[in-house]
Amino acid sequence: MPAQTIWMIRLSLVYFLISALIGGLLLIHKTIPLHPALWSLLPLHYEMAIWGWMVQFVIGTAYWMFPRYLKGEIRGPAKPAWWMFILFNTGLLLLLVSFLTTASVALAPAGRLLMMASILLFGYLMWNRIVSFKHHDH
Amino acid sequence: MPPITRYFIKSGMIYFVLGIVLAFYAELPGIRTGALLLPVYWHMLVIGWLTQIIMGVSIWMFPRTKKQRQNIQSFPAVAAFWTLNTGLVLRFLAEPFIPLVQNGLLFNLVIILSSILQVASVIFYLIEIWPRVQTRKRPVRRKT
Repeated sequence: MPAQTIWMIRLSLVYFLISALIGGLLLIHKTIPLHPALWSLLPLHYEMAIWGWMVQFVIGTAYWMFPRYLKGEIRGPAKPAWWMFILFNTGLLLLLVSFLTTASVALAPAGRLLMMASILLFGYLMWNRIVSFKHHDH
Repeated sequence: MPPITRYFIKSGMIYFVLGIVLAFYAELPGIRTGALLLPVYWHMLVIGWLTQIIMGVSIWMFPRTKKQRQNIQSFPAVAAFWTLNTGLVLRFLAEPFIPLVQNGLLFNLVIILSSILQVASVIFYLIEIWPRVQTRKRPVRRKT
């Protein structure tokens, strides 16, 4: 398992736990009011569940498990993979902070932009690894 | 494929069908469920289906630690499955009726129990999978 995958999966597990904790509190809050500000955490709950947990887990696992190159670096160049990880998580963090602040800074679009750049890098890294091996000599 | 992975995937597929059926039902003309069914079918799809598939497949495919290799169906994996599915069933049975039940003690306990079980399942899954997110140590080849 490459280091980029280890970082992505471990962070995705952290996001999964935080999202589940918020979701658990929100569910209880529906029957027993806990705190009026709790509903403001709803976007954090689903953005962390979808992007932080599921998408990040799938990206990290695909980068690890998809067919590897037979020559050169087995998963392609390492630097873009590190940038994929950094951009994704910086973008997600900006997006999450945007839900907690009322300051009129463009945190949400900046966050989405960084995540988009990360997904493009993911596409670049994976495109040539989406292959069948039937034409290769083993 | 370990038996617990089969349980995760088959349970996930049942929630996939239920989720899409409920989403279809909520869109039918004349059906006015408002926001009552929305969290139910979203959680069926995102937790019941997608998350369970991820959990099941990762428990199957991720490299095991030396200790885990002796027991492919460990307690945290089994506990993650049962706490998640019990929590989800309680949630899906109770959540649509929240606006109808006012201060029902038993009802509130069901919601709290469902919430605790779902969070517990995430913790059990983390206990199972965290040590397995690792670099596989390649066996050293002896020179002949």
